[in-house]
Amino acid sequence: MGKIFAVFKRELGLYFRSPVAYAVAFALLLFFGLWFSNRVDQVSQAQYPADFVNNVPSLLTFLMFLVAPLLTMRLLAEETREGTLETLMTLPIRESQFILGKFLAVWAYYTVLLAITVVYHIIVTQIGVPDLGRVFGLYLGAWLYGGAVLAVAMVWSAVTEDQIVAAFLGAATILMLVLVELAANWIASLPDQGTITWLVDFVREFSLPAHYDATLAVGVIRAEDILYFVFLMAAALFITTRIVEVRRWRS
Amino acid sequence: MIEVHDLTKNYGAVTAVKGVTFAANPGQVTGFLGPNGAGKTTTMRILTGFLPPTAGKATVAGFDVFDQSMQVRQHVGYLPESVPLYRDMTTLGYLMYIAEIRGVKQRRDRAMDVLKRVALENRANSHIRALSKGMRQRVGLAQALIHDPEVLILDEPTIGLDPIQVMELRDLVRDLGHDHTVLFSTHILSEAEQVCDKVVIIHQGNIVAQGAPLELRTHLERGGRILVRVDTQIDTALAVIREVPGVNTAEMAVDGIIVTPTSADVDPRPAIARAIVEEGWNLMELRPAAVNLEEIFLELTRADQQAEISDIADDSLDEAEVANG
Repeated sequence: MGKIFAVFKRELGLYFRSPVAYAVAFALLLFFGLWFSNRVDQVSQAQYPADFVNNVPSLLTFLMFLVAPLLTMRLLAEETREGTLETLMTLPIRESQFILGKFLAVWAYYTVLLAITVVYHIIVTQIGVPDLGRVFGLYLGAWLYGGAVLAVAMVWSAVTEDQIVAAFLGAATILMLVLVELAANWIASLPDQGTITWLVDFVREFSLPAHYDATLAVGVIRAEDILYFVFLMAAALFITTRIVEVRRWRS
Repeated sequence: MIEVHDLTKNYGAVTAVKGVTFAANPGQVTGFLGPNGAGKTTTMRILTGFLPPTAGKATVAGFDVFDQSMQVRQHVGYLPESVPLYRDMTTLGYLMYIAEIRGVKQRRDRAMDVLKRVALENRANSHIRALSKGMRQRVGLAQALIHDPEVLILDEPTIGLDPIQVMELRDLVRDLGHDHTVLFSTHILSEAEQVCDKVVIIHQGNIVAQGAPLELRTHLERGGRILVRVDTQIDTALAVIREVPGVNTAEMAVDGIIVTPTSADVDPRPAIARAIVEEGWNLMELRPAAVNLEEIFLELTRADQQAEISDIADDSLDEAEVANG
């Protein structure tokens, strides 16, 4: 536990000292601000709904296909390239502890980003009475969604020493997990639905939005959605650990 | 204490280490000597638990490197060849990070202690990226010492340093050898001779010789070439020396006459001395021509290459083992 915490502390500290993390935060928060004010504008011109909920967290989850790879590309690729992994893997720490420490650090950084968007919720409470259940679901969902996506993007940082390649492959993988829903919809639009509805459901189970957009984001908290994100996180971390082990043993 | 028995490592079809057996004792610096690509780094990586061996057994501080990797790692300090460090951290921050992962108590005090030992206490708050190559090397060494390990494994620690830094580092390693088991790799032979209590010579994944540097030298000088300097006409001297029993050839060299004996078992030095004295000349110098490990090393590795054609190397290997007891 102390070892995981040592890695966690160093990595998190690095995010708050590195220009990339600040650039990401700056761009995101600027975008959120513009988007939010524009939306409030629209809403106030129309009939104002009293339970209006800020949906900036949903915007953040959507943008994560770009943001997650930028945050995770460094994590293992840099250690491999610089050779620091060699020192580390001769210390009494397991790959799994080391990778968990790194993952928790990037997830914590994401949590900070997400926490900043609470500001929009506070603004909304000044002009209406948002449904707290929905807000809770929204934030819980966005938090889990982010963790899962970060873990998936991190896999590629273990695969290649090249950070740019890791980022591209990470973005592509996440985008695929998002777009699988489109595939499901396309299958659903085919004539002769009788035999393949199970296929549609099956394909949709893999998509990120299917477990967020229509459920957690609107306050519907289902165990299967939470399990989906937790499972995705665990699987990605496990794969990352195996890749680091195998790469070391083959080096 | 490091004990390696019949250790082998394959990378696919390439065998980097072929059945290596040696030991490194506490309170000694053991030199691991060989040209680049001999298998030094691979062996060291196996000993630190970074790589698994293909076959064979190795124990470090009494623990098996494969089955008890975590215990081994606790008792070993390792300085990799490339000295990988986190350049964005300060010296002290880095050492405290390593100490924390190693579960060292009183981390700040301990980090300052090792920084003193490597004479870097005044750079504790410098960023590692701002340090010179020699200083980084010492930070790497400090990192290896942070948990006061029984065993220190240093992979070519003097590479890329200037002569003064090299001397300082050698002194430090020798000093560390008093209370640690130190395994120190190098491809510079005079360095091994200077620093180590024991030398293990590795070439193409095989151990070609091992023993105390002096022992090795004495053994290999036996039957080796001899340098003679005589206070007379070179031509006449050459003629006389060529006639001495046990002398195969005598050639003129820059600093005297180089004599090759007829076989490795023959030492013609007494006979040469007698012949010169009988001629009434003054004998200025008479000593083995191979005075450093460079020549010994060339000799050994040449023999090893021939082994692929003939069995000569087997004999020389056996001899080396006999010489080491």
